[in-house]
Order: sequence, then structure tokens, then C-alpha cells
Amino acid sequence: MCSCPVSFLGGVDPANGKILDIDCESRGLSVADKVFCFPFGKGSTVGSYAMYQLRLNRMAPCAIVNGSAEPIIATGAIIADIPMIDGVNVSLVRTGDSAVVDGDSGALELRNVTERHVVTSIVRSKGRILLLRRSSKVGSYRGQWAGVSGYIEHDEPDENAARREMAEEVGLEVAKLVRRIQPEMFRDVDIVWCVHPFLFEAKDPKVRIDWEHQSYEWVSPKDVAAYPTVPGLQQVISKLLP
Amino acid sequence: MHLSAPEERILAGEEGPGRQKAMELLVALGDIYGAKRLIPISSAQISGASFKTIGDAGILFLEDFSKTAKVSVHASLNPLGLDLRHWKSMGVDASFHEKQSRIVRAYSTLGVEPSYTCTPYLAGNRPRRGEHIAWAESSATVFANSCLGAMTNREGGPSALAAAIIGKTAEYGLHLDENRRPRVRIDIESIPEGLGPLAGYVVGRIAGKRVPYICGPHLTADEHKSFGAAMAATGAVSMYAYSEPGRKDRVNKLEIEEEISLPASELRECSESLAGDSEWDLVAIGCPHCSSAELRGMARYLKIRKPARKSDVWFCTSRKVYARCPNEVAILKRFGRVLCDTCMVVAPIEKKYRSTASDSGKAMVYLPTLGGQRASFRPTNMLLEAISR
Repeated sequence: MCSCPVSFLGGVDPANGKILDIDCESRGLSVADKVFCFPFGKGSTVGSYAMYQLRLNRMAPCAIVNGSAEPIIATGAIIADIPMIDGVNVSLVRTGDSAVVDGDSGALELRNVTERHVVTSIVRSKGRILLLRRSSKVGSYRGQWAGVSGYIEHDEPDENAARREMAEEVGLEVAKLVRRIQPEMFRDVDIVWCVHPFLFEAKDPKVRIDWEHQSYEWVSPKDVAAYPTVPGLQQVISKLLP
Repeated sequence: MHLSAPEERILAGEEGPGRQKAMELLVALGDIYGAKRLIPISSAQISGASFKTIGDAGILFLEDFSKTAKVSVHASLNPLGLDLRHWKSMGVDASFHEKQSRIVRAYSTLGVEPSYTCTPYLAGNRPRRGEHIAWAESSATVFANSCLGAMTNREGGPSALAAAIIGKTAEYGLHLDENRRPRVRIDIESIPEGLGPLAGYVVGRIAGKRVPYICGPHLTADEHKSFGAAMAATGAVSMYAYSEPGRKDRVNKLEIEEEISLPASELRECSESLAGDSEWDLVAIGCPHCSSAELRGMARYLKIRKPARKSDVWFCTSRKVYARCPNEVAILKRFGRVLCDTCMVVAPIEKKYRSTASDSGKAMVYLPTLGGQRASFRPTNMLLEAISR
């Protein structure tokens, strides 16, 4: 897995498949017989031939997974007979994952990773937003600050899950849905969190927390950065409150 | 992308592995660029012919591909890394020659015309207005789109070869009229003598990926050749529209998003910044390859002069043009080598030379990088003056 763009000409050693690019976090690892994931290709068009050379040396990756395909890598993958898919969010992939590539459907499955769907609701009142500090009794991210969040139960519409969690966790029965955005994905160890973000407006800032949280605060959105928050929360807030 | 039944059959491998691979390549690129279908082409120009640029991996790919594939339309080929007849006197070693010969054989087996020039339009592959073609070689692509009115994207070597094999290319980019309309206007007030290539050099930097609409002084076809080549080297430009005084332009002014004026002073500054020094191992003229008119012009000036013999001199041209100009070639040979099949950009000049002067804006981009040279720009007439007395 490389989080940087890749050039096969000069960036990968054709003799052993090792990544040479000094800017790459996976420098020194070999792509041979691996599923090689990176965002997109860069550099000279001769890179296509360099991929062919890697194949002849039996050091080619067994598949290539790209965020977006560009012509040099696509050309090289075809002439070197390397299966390739694109349109994958490669930021969710980590070196060492056990990957299955389905070239027909264009899908990447990570065998060692579980996907979990959760809602995160940002409740706003009088220009401030509600942050909850997770208690020591919950299963994950203890002591960190979060929105109103919880699992989406099987077949449950996500807005219902969001409203259910608001009632359970902070006692808010009435709130107006202001905005919802496309789910955001975050990788954390062996879990990919698929977060369904909502923004609600509450008239009454009175809240009653349950056992899942130890405290709460109403904060100005610009101050959120000062809090130790659960992964991805700041990204969700900046997208919900542009 | 929608494929016809015969195209599907090629993709399924029913016409052999070579045509299948070529079709896979066209379909993959078509998908990346959002093409809806394949369209027929009348010709291809293939890049990646010099051993210096494609290396051992390129040879192996071409040798393998040539076992099962053949081009189905007129396909011409870019310059090699050497003159097939005079490679020894160029300073090319035997192992390079051996590798280059394998590339030549592979392309020949593929059915590609042994034209070995970046100016196919001067050597028997000249498309007509409105024809779709699949040309690699950025200088030829920009000339075909801008001066001949043919339609091509800036292909890579393998994609142009795949298009030549299938006889089709994916319909996207400059194959569609809406992408050929200029978005930036560049006014060039005047071009000092010999600095036409540098006007292209500067325009390429400004235009980037956009199609520029250039209003400037009259340029001959040969001047367009050098101007466009430099533009395509400094930018990702594959086409420009050109308007000169007294000619009616057909550009939709409403679509112009930016207007830039390019004063002659900026061209002089560019000339100074690329001037380099005056100690040259090599003086190289002919990037892109010289036309008959250019050989005539130089021969006329040099006819009554004597060689100065300070630097080696290369005049680079295509074998077709060379054959058309025996008298001019005889005169130029008194001053240096008249080389065919190759040029200073793709020949391994770094093995013999350290410092090269040229009148080409394109060469100013590639000599320092690909060629490892200290490069010095001079207008053609100054180079001719320097090599003669």
C-alpha cells in the first residue's frame, strides 16, 4: 500500500519489485505477488513498459488497485497482464491487509477488516454544537469526545437510528433535521467505520446523558479541534457545517 | 463504452491474442476518458522507437507483441536512436545498435512503415482536414490538429500502436468538436527573427492543457512546425488555433475565459534565459526534422561559405526529405553530418557530447533532461554563422 502516487519507471526496482521512491512510506517493501494499492500513477509513459519488465522478471504484483486509473498505469497493467481495478477508496487499505480483488465487479474485499455502519448526529443549538465525552463503560473510544452516535441496527433506516440514539443518549425527542450527507468511511485498525452523518437543530439545549457518556459540552464549531475526538469527527463536522 | 459485435469478438480473443490485447488497451483508455464508442482512424504515428527511450522492457514487449499482431491502417514511426547507415560516425556503440536493430525488426514485423521521423506529414503520411487519426509524438500531434485540421489526441506509444492494430481509437478529447474550441486567447505583438520556437515555448507554459487561440504575425508552415513543437514540449497542449492579420478568425469569443498578451520583450527575455554559453560540442538543427524548404534555405546561405569546424554539426531530417534534396545535402555535408532516422533528442548524445546548441524550443526542454546536455538556444541564422566563415 502506498498513499503517494507511483511511477513504475524509477519508483519500483524491476529486479525484485521493491519500492524505491524515497517519499513513499512503503519504501523497501516488494510489490511482487501482492495486491498493490495506490491512489494513481505519475511520471513517464515509459512506465508502462517498466511494468511489463516487472512481469517478465516474475516480480509483478498479482493485482493493482487504484483510486483513479490514469493511462500510464492502465496501459502497463494491460500489456503486463496484471488485473487492475479502480474507483476504490485506497485510504481505507493498510499494508498487510488480506485482500481479494474481483476484476469482474471491480470490488476490493479486505478479509481481515469488518465494516460497521454507525450514525453520528451533530446537534446544534444557538450556534453551538453538542459534544459528548464517552464513558469508561462503553466498548470503544473511552474518554474521547463524539457526536450522538450508535450502531445502525439491521435493516433500520439510518435517520431512525439517528433519532433513536438522540432519544436514548441525550433525551432529545424533538429536533429538526437540517442536513445529512453521504456516509464517510474511516479505517481504524481492523474496522472500517461507515459513518452516516446528520445535523440536527434543537430548540432547547437541555440534555440528559445516559451511562454511555460521562459529560457533555456545548462548544463553538471552531473550537472542536481542541478536543480529543473519535476518528473522523472533525472531518464530519467540517462537511456538515461548511 | 459501447462496442459493436465485431469489436466484442476481438475483445473476446476470437481474432488472436495480439488483437485482443490491443482492443483491451483501447477499451481501458476509452473507459478512463469516458468515451462512448470507438471510431475508425485513417492513420497512426507511433512513438517509442529509440532504444534510449523504451529500454530493454520496450524491446521485449514489442518482440512479443509482434508475434501475434499486425497494423491494419497506415502507421508511421518516430525517430530511432541512430542513423541506420551512419551510426558508427555518430558515436553510437555496437550494443546500442544491436538493441536498436531488434526494435526495428519488431516494428517491421508489426507492419509499421520504417519512416523514422517526427514529421510524418512531410514524409508520406499527411492526413486531410476532418480525418480522425491516432498519433503519438507531441510535435506531430499538435501540427496535425492545428495546421492540417485532422483530429487526434496526444497518444502514448502503446495506445497509438493499439489503435493502428485495430484501426480505431476511442472517441474522446480532441476527437470531439466541443473540446477543440479555444478557452484562452494569447496575443503575440511581434516575434523577433528566429525566436518563433521560443514563442511556442512561452505559449505552452501559459496554456497548459487548454487549447489556446493565438493572434500573432504570419508564420510559414515550417515556422508553425517549430512553434507547435515547443508548445507541446513545455505544455500539455495538443492543439492551437492561430489567427494572423488579414485573416478572418472563426473562434467563438464568448468561450474565451482568459486573455493574455505576450510582448516581444518576454520572448527576448526567454531567449536570454536559454542562451546558455558559447562552448558547444555539438550544433544540432532539425527538431522537428528539417523540411525540404529548410534544407534549401540553409544550403543557400552556406553554399558560398567555408566550414568553421569548431563543433560537430548535425542536420536532422527524414530519409524521404533527404532523398528529395541531393544537392542541398551535398552542401550541408561540407559543414557536418546530415542524419536521417534520428535526432538529438532520442539519440544517445550524452555518450559523446556535454554541451549542445540548437535552434529548437522543443530541444531546449529535452536536451538538459533526456540528453544530459548543457543546452544553448540560438536562432538558426546565428548557428549557421557560427559553423561557417
